[in-house]
Amino acid sequence: MEVGLLMLAGGIAAGAFGSILGLGGGLLIVPLLTLGFGLPLREAVGVSLVCVIVTSSASAGVYLQRRQANLRLGMVLELFTAAGAVIGGAVAFLIDERLLAALFALLLIYVAVTMLQGLRKPAEEPATDDETPPHAHLAGESGVDPGAERDGRTKKDGPTELDGGFVAGLGGPGYEVTRLPAAALGSVGAGIASALLGIGGGLIKVPLMHLVLGVPLRVATATSNLMIGITASASAIVYLIRGGIDAYVAGPTAIGVFVGASLGSRLGHRVGQRGLRVLFVLVLVYTAIEMVRRAAGIA
Amino acid sequence: MTSSRRAEALEPALEPALEPALARVLQAGTYLSVGLVAVGSVLLIAGGGSPLAGGPALALSRLPADLLALRPEGFLWLGILGIVLTPALRVATALLGFWRRGERAMAGVAVLILAVVAAGVVSGLLAG
Repeated sequence: MEVGLLMLAGGIAAGAFGSILGLGGGLLIVPLLTLGFGLPLREAVGVSLVCVIVTSSASAGVYLQRRQANLRLGMVLELFTAAGAVIGGAVAFLIDERLLAALFALLLIYVAVTMLQGLRKPAEEPATDDETPPHAHLAGESGVDPGAERDGRTKKDGPTELDGGFVAGLGGPGYEVTRLPAAALGSVGAGIASALLGIGGGLIKVPLMHLVLGVPLRVATATSNLMIGITASASAIVYLIRGGIDAYVAGPTAIGVFVGASLGSRLGHRVGQRGLRVLFVLVLVYTAIEMVRRAAGIA
Repeated sequence: MTSSRRAEALEPALEPALEPALARVLQAGTYLSVGLVAVGSVLLIAGGGSPLAGGPALALSRLPADLLALRPEGFLWLGILGIVLTPALRVATALLGFWRRGERAMAGVAVLILAVVAAGVVSGLLAG
């Protein structure tokens, strides 16, 4: 019973931490399960994917309701992230776990460096991190112009494919989408990374949409969140069929992450971000070292 | 643009927005699935079982019996399946919506996404 409760508590902590810092739960679940509970890395990735889908689906629902996510662009790109995820899901069972640990360590170091750079700036946009805070509606993080509240019909939307070409229909109010092939290629990479490391892949998708496609940051963040669900789902299916997900571990952990993300979105604005980020960077560095030790066969 | 083409282009604007319907699918699917997983987790933890003992593999044929017998694995697997399939259900709903609006290219994209997910199932089955 104690282990189950500890797993639940760990999930709550990971979900809350991730939600407050705008990182989602994926980045923390894998180290929690491998370093904290001694699970094989591949199994931890499978469980993490389930947790990522839970938080993504809940928050993507909110973003869709607010009409903040670009549904058409998201669906075009998720075709490529899903393809990458299926490839990654198959590759994950072929490569050595030590290589996976090394890749995960690289990811952690990258996020730690990004967060350190963010500490130097007065106000960091959460979208440059991994996933956006789940259940953002509870956090009061609107990001939507009240005047943009829709009347439930499509009249005020951006162009559709019927208004003049397929790519033109992927833009939104005030912006057009450019360099779609490059973004499609990057999306395949995001899908592979998601499947190999058990993360949502927002770390890649948000900059891709913002910097390559020219999508506004808030729209890119919301759209990335929408895409995460089907991306993680495509690889989770491969893990599920190949016995890479343990229901006994996934259950308490996913519930913990769901509850933690809800709590985090409520408490986020009351917690000092700077101190928390410093603490998180330390956790990331420690975890990265442990992952490197595992990759080297020392741990 | 001809008048008939303009009329065709304006027609989808009269359709209800897709996003709220997709949001409902995602939220209903998530809360229902999380509820099932929560029941399974409570049964597991209250029954003194350890998550590290290694849960039984997914067996669809055993699912109804496990649920009727209130075994944790029944609720856990049904909930996990719901979680994993909810995004695909969202894509299927979008497919219907785009088709009704006459956005054939977007409907095609949705079909391709579902085909990729199906490829994942086939790849898993072949390798497993």
